[in-house]
Amino acid sequence: MFIIDDILLRSIGISLPGLDMIWTLEQIQKFALKGYYNPEKIKDQIKETRLLYEFGELDRQEYERKNSELLHKLDVAKKVLEMDLGSKMDILG
Amino acid sequence: MVRRILKAENTVPETLGKYVYCVIPFPTKERKSFGNLGFDASEVYTLDYRDLCPVVSDVTYRDYAVDEPEVEVHRNVVEQVMQEHSVIPVAYGMAFKSRKLLQIAMSAGYQAMQKALPIVDGKVELGIKVFLPKDLEPMGSVQKEECSADFLQSLLAVSSDNKKLKLFSDRLILNCTFLVEKSGMDEFSLQVGRLKERYAELKVQYSGPWPAYNFVDIHILGGKRRGFR
Repeated sequence: MFIIDDILLRSIGISLPGLDMIWTLEQIQKFALKGYYNPEKIKDQIKETRLLYEFGELDRQEYERKNSELLHKLDVAKKVLEMDLGSKMDILG
Repeated sequence: MVRRILKAENTVPETLGKYVYCVIPFPTKERKSFGNLGFDASEVYTLDYRDLCPVVSDVTYRDYAVDEPEVEVHRNVVEQVMQEHSVIPVAYGMAFKSRKLLQIAMSAGYQAMQKALPIVDGKVELGIKVFLPKDLEPMGSVQKEECSADFLQSLLAVSSDNKKLKLFSDRLILNCTFLVEKSGMDEFSLQVGRLKERYAELKVQYSGPWPAYNFVDIHILGGKRRGFR
């Protein structure tokens, strides 16, 4: 019922931040996206993986696999930031 | 995997640009060659700019992605040049479309590079990372700080300067880089050896000699990827 109320309110252009369920979900999603696609954090993971390899805690194969995964994740993160997926666009001006 | 992102579309004819590896003080007009060590086995040579010479090779102008084999080419060239000259480091990926543009950048950065010269002259950068092995009990923050301070104090005594770098892992106790006179490298290495013995349970990575990347920070022509750093 609460969700339907929110949707109804939104349909007539009313949103009460904090009380608006969709707004809250959007904030959680935004927060999660920022945490997952944080380029600095991914760069740290790339450096840590390299160090683990250099100290012999990862073999070459494992290092290359992890490194390539992280480089891909970094590419995606940069694109996500460029696109700013978390933000809305006002198409009605 | 060699990944290259071409700046221009395939339909645009390729043009040769200048890739800059480093800048050296070299007050003669003569061109010096360091051999075919550059990207795609291109010749690495000096270009004349007043009393400072950019060390370059002719390359197809493109963006340089951070890619291990390519970074290794840059690193290897700088290592060779360092054997004979003091080096003002240039960030990886600095390519210029033409000699003219490179000269404009050199002109814009000339004073800053002159100021950087005494910092790098006759010195090298040496890196120390102290890491907690996975099978060791995690250290408390006080213990970590004590260990880190011991390393820093001992090594500062045999170096000219130091920079603390980011602790990018929870298991990293110290990540630090030191500026050391070339003539003082042996003494520094001895001190590192003593510390390794004192902290035999920890993993210590001692790297270098590098050009003084962390002690020279010259930004030219704005932007993060289009200057000398």
